[in-house]
Amino acid sequence: MDTVVEFKAVSKQYGKLPVLEDIDLAVKQDDFMVIYGLPSSGKTVLLRLLMGLEFPDAGDIILRGENVRHMPPKVRNIGYVPQDFALIPHKTIFENIAYPLRLIKKSTLEIKPVVQRAASMLSIEELLDKLPTQLSGGQKQRVAVARGIVKETDIYLFDDPLAGLDFKLRERLIDDLRQLQDEIAACFIYATSDPIESLTLAASIAVLHDRTIAETGEPRSIYLDPRHLSTMDILGFPRANLFDGHLTKNQSKLHCKTDLFEFPVLIDAGLPTMKDPLAVTVAVRPEKIQIVSDIDVNFLTADIYLREDLGAEEIIYLNVQDCSLTMVNPSSQNGHYDVGDQINIRIDAASFFIFEKDTGNRVGKGINNFNA
Amino acid sequence: MPEIKIDNLTKRFKEVVAVDDLTFSFPEGQVTCLLGPSGCGKTTLLRMIAGLEAPTSGSIYFGDIDLTQLPPRKRNIGMVFQYPVVYRGISVYKNIELPLLKRNIPANERRQRIEEALELLNLQDQADKDSSQLDNVSRQKVSVARAISYHPDIILFDEPMTNIDANSRVQFSHFFKELSKKLNQVIVYVTHDQTEAMTLADQIALMEDGRMVQCNEPRALYNEPEEVFGGWFLGNPGMNFIAARCEQAAGKNVLSSSFFPSPLGIATHGLDREVTIGIRPEHISVSETALSNAVNAKVKRKSITVGGQFLLVIEVDQVEVKAKVSHPSNELMSAKSVWVEFPLEHIVLFNQHQKRVHADLTYLRK
Repeated sequence: MDTVVEFKAVSKQYGKLPVLEDIDLAVKQDDFMVIYGLPSSGKTVLLRLLMGLEFPDAGDIILRGENVRHMPPKVRNIGYVPQDFALIPHKTIFENIAYPLRLIKKSTLEIKPVVQRAASMLSIEELLDKLPTQLSGGQKQRVAVARGIVKETDIYLFDDPLAGLDFKLRERLIDDLRQLQDEIAACFIYATSDPIESLTLAASIAVLHDRTIAETGEPRSIYLDPRHLSTMDILGFPRANLFDGHLTKNQSKLHCKTDLFEFPVLIDAGLPTMKDPLAVTVAVRPEKIQIVSDIDVNFLTADIYLREDLGAEEIIYLNVQDCSLTMVNPSSQNGHYDVGDQINIRIDAASFFIFEKDTGNRVGKGINNFNA
Repeated sequence: MPEIKIDNLTKRFKEVVAVDDLTFSFPEGQVTCLLGPSGCGKTTLLRMIAGLEAPTSGSIYFGDIDLTQLPPRKRNIGMVFQYPVVYRGISVYKNIELPLLKRNIPANERRQRIEEALELLNLQDQADKDSSQLDNVSRQKVSVARAISYHPDIILFDEPMTNIDANSRVQFSHFFKELSKKLNQVIVYVTHDQTEAMTLADQIALMEDGRMVQCNEPRALYNEPEEVFGGWFLGNPGMNFIAARCEQAAGKNVLSSSFFPSPLGIATHGLDREVTIGIRPEHISVSETALSNAVNAKVKRKSITVGGQFLLVIEVDQVEVKAKVSHPSNELMSAKSVWVEFPLEHIVLFNQHQKRVHADLTYLRK
């Protein structure tokens, strides 16, 4: 598949404040690429650079094989659904959707079938004669998306289009967006700060954290096998548990120690020689913490700070000695834990990922040592 | 202490009916969450209890006292809003003291109540701080402390976590749970967030279009929705709904759907021909090998969801359902087609009016 968008070592700063540093990113045609990052991590800036609404301080952006340095926004031919999707209040929904086409001087005859097609993809045909004030929040959002896709092109950008919408509406629109991309078969670049939205929509995810792309890959592979601490830290709901620790070598065996845990480590292949001891961040996903009923080997006693019931699963916030831990229990049928209760938990050493503290790069994984 | 009763309460804004003929009671010593999408009437109901909105018709009682015509300040109600209401430039202590001064409570009792409120909300260390130095959670805690310090009969919370960031929500929820256990008042808490309601409520009153859909203890509402709406609104994603046919065959009522390998016997009277099967995503059994009561399904999509579980979109006979799987095998994750079973104990049936029908289901064949 061809690469249609490429960022090469792109940096951007506002005054003295760096926003994006050394961004490398390649997006293929027909990809559904999610740019995932926390709020204010620079996602919008990245999209605006591609649109030509901002200019990089360093690096190059290649669009359909061509460097865009001297390409004005209007010839870049990119569909755009901005985050702040203000509709024009005194114009009908039809005209609101047709707006990008009017800007490029298409005739009404040409516009009509295109608007109708976009409206039907988003099931808003019956709204075309109405005014924005007559629409609900979810309907307005659909109109904004229709306006973004009305321009027939091969690249569409979405800047967190579901932010601020209520939960149930998001659930439905996520399904619609996925289907829309199947129908249009174009390249979607979609910014969001919602981890589950990212994992649900994306064919590939780029994790934007600390001003740069920490890791890019298929959702399942980077979630299950993260190579960078940022991915482990922020991609997932609830977020992973992190601990400071040290990695030391003891008679050719590597050993990791944190305040709560101590376990042997299997180092990733192909790493350069490391400092000894090495300051590391140890991370474990909330679903890897298990409640044990019997007194097990390696169990910890935890106090329940809060139990949240999500219906299908529960999130339990725990205090263990001076550390806070978050765990997910996939079955919340029981519901008999509550604030202040004590439970025993355990974590398999094989669930730990170990990252170098300074760089965030992964160095290895824990290994279960039942003979110890 | 008595309960709040609302009786045939209605509120119209021009032609819009915000609250539609509600009769309901809020028990003392319990947290009742009013839950529903925006526009369902939950905030209007809360504001009528507070006296900030006059009902079009109907009455509100606190025990035997009719509150309907009383102005807000005579209702002895504490209220916590979306935006924490604190007076800047004065200390946390003074903030809590203000409503007590207004009520002419003597100095030594004031001191005692303020200290009690500070302790309940774990604000002792912040008592002398200027309230403008506080973060949002602490500010909201100060407004809660103020709302409880004058010992109101009723405490109302109007989406108090709206302006609190995700991390601090855990903290606010924790202290709310601790606090609500100690208070004996009627507590009414409005939210549109199902997790918040499921986590904090003793009972949830689910609302839609100005009416009460169902009121139950949280797990009962989740597991036994009385209407399609409850099944859909609670859960992430909500319940799957599948159309099915109910017919007479060989003198028996049978239920058939392409999600059952063979028709089911259904023990009920007067069921519609067309019914809806409801089943939650986490209750669907999915396997790469044949299960006894399963049908073959195509896997359309799979993605990671909350807590590393997998959400599978699977299709049978052009009908899609979502299934949540918590520890899938590698074989299951790479399978293009799978076996799905709807365990009968988890099926909820609805009639054409989207209301729950209680009926026992059984497999007819041996």
